[in-house]
Amino acid sequence: MMKIKMKRKEIIIFIIMTLLAIVMIYPFYFMINSSFKSNAQFLGASGHSMLSWHKLFKALPVGRQLLNSTIVCTASILIILIVSTLAGFSLAKMRSKASPIFFLGIVGAMLIPLQSIIINAYVNEANHFNLLSGYWGAILLYSALGTPFATFLMTSYFRGLPDDLVEAAICDGLSYQRVFTRIALPLAVPAVVTIIVLQFIQIWDDLLVGLLFIQDPNYRTITVGLGALSAGRTTDIPVLMAGSLVSAIPAVVVYLIFQRQLVNGLTAGIGK
Amino acid sequence: MLPALALVAAFLGIPILQAVYYSFTQWDGLTATWVGISTYTHELQYPIFWRVLENNGLLLLGIPVAMLLPLGIAFLLNEKVPGWKFFRSIYFLPTAISWVVIGMVSLRFFAQQGLLNGILQGFGLGFIHTDLLSSERGALLAVSITFIWSMVGTNTIIFLTGMATLDNSLNEAARMDGASNFRIFRSITLPQLQRFIQFSFIITVISAFTALFSLIFVMTEGGPGFGTTTLEFFIYQSAFSHSDYGTGAMLGVILFFMMAVLGIGQLAIMRNKD
Repeated sequence: MMKIKMKRKEIIIFIIMTLLAIVMIYPFYFMINSSFKSNAQFLGASGHSMLSWHKLFKALPVGRQLLNSTIVCTASILIILIVSTLAGFSLAKMRSKASPIFFLGIVGAMLIPLQSIIINAYVNEANHFNLLSGYWGAILLYSALGTPFATFLMTSYFRGLPDDLVEAAICDGLSYQRVFTRIALPLAVPAVVTIIVLQFIQIWDDLLVGLLFIQDPNYRTITVGLGALSAGRTTDIPVLMAGSLVSAIPAVVVYLIFQRQLVNGLTAGIGK
Repeated sequence: MLPALALVAAFLGIPILQAVYYSFTQWDGLTATWVGISTYTHELQYPIFWRVLENNGLLLLGIPVAMLLPLGIAFLLNEKVPGWKFFRSIYFLPTAISWVVIGMVSLRFFAQQGLLNGILQGFGLGFIHTDLLSSERGALLAVSITFIWSMVGTNTIIFLTGMATLDNSLNEAARMDGASNFRIFRSITLPQLQRFIQFSFIITVISAFTALFSLIFVMTEGGPGFGTTTLEFFIYQSAFSHSDYGTGAMLGVILFFMMAVLGIGQLAIMRNKD
């Protein structure tokens, strides 16, 4: 009797979860389905076609923009990793009097919303540094935005490594640089992967920074290209859906492979 | 340590200080004239400013839903019914999708000929023909629903992580003492989840106030009227559509203070754990 009751409960839960899954997955079905229709088919005519995909490749330099996204993401993530692992290591293992203040400053920077600094960052880069013509304006801002949380994560990670390990290596005559590159960094791979995944999705999916800080359309990322296409009031929905799909796929693939690291990054703020 | 400091100072630290300075000026991006505190007092008398804050306030009304729904889902997932890991992956999937894409699909969902009306018709409710996006409040509702949909995954994961830390022996002890399921939930489970609920609350508010720019940009462009112009979107409009950089900087400072209060709350939670 007990067993049957459990079963029934399980079945009800399973049904509810399936319905929910349909709600969550529907947009993907909608994107895929409508991208394989012409505008007329989308509006009611039957059948499927590749027309919208052809149109998309005419309306958007898809390949170029995917490449731009990749360049911007890779460069920003590299900068974030270099500065945050260095800062995290020195904060955790080479403590000085300035460390607490510095740590507070970095964590405090996590509180600054992008919208609060974007105007001044934009004017600074445009008027004083002339950074908006290529990729660099966006790359540097993305890097600065990602660094505080990454440093916070790396610091907590390196704090988790035993001090004895570092001290023993120093006693053996290794320099701090050596300890960092030979011992600490290889041990920090999980945290590094978490940062890469988190930042990749964030930067890949961003519109605002890309929109303002990449002024030459040739350097636009795919998300910005898509945003511009929709703001241009393209009424051809299937084309927009095909574009959405192209822009979403890389981030979805990264998500599917590195789901666990993404969850780790998300919950890093609460601890275990 | 120094490279990180230089990068953060140059692109976050200095701009926020500049924003505070320029918030007291009239500034078109090139020349700024010092005005003083009256920039703030003037803005506070400006009806549209309050309209925008009202929109932010209305967005907050969606937050209980954006938290309770995932709490329920997390409980169901935590029953570990066969396939629960697969469902978890699906619910979390929107986290990987850009707001631009989400906004575009959502726009079609709420459109006159969109799925929402199709569903209503399918259930024989065709007489309730919705056209949310054409009214100010309706459009805000559509934005809120989209926002809630995309927060489901994140909050579910937070609560699931919390549930993994629960101490089951407490439940059993309470059950032995004859406590009801509801009683156990209220007096034992919820207190243990408190830290996670606070964290989810802060994450959800921060997202509602600072992460919806792209969604609004794609879905409504702040309209109709000022119907979906939230503070973060108003900042963008002031500076980049109306070239009123001074007002934009001031609004940014206001947003910063709002978020700083929340953020300090979050830091307090993280400290608790240490």
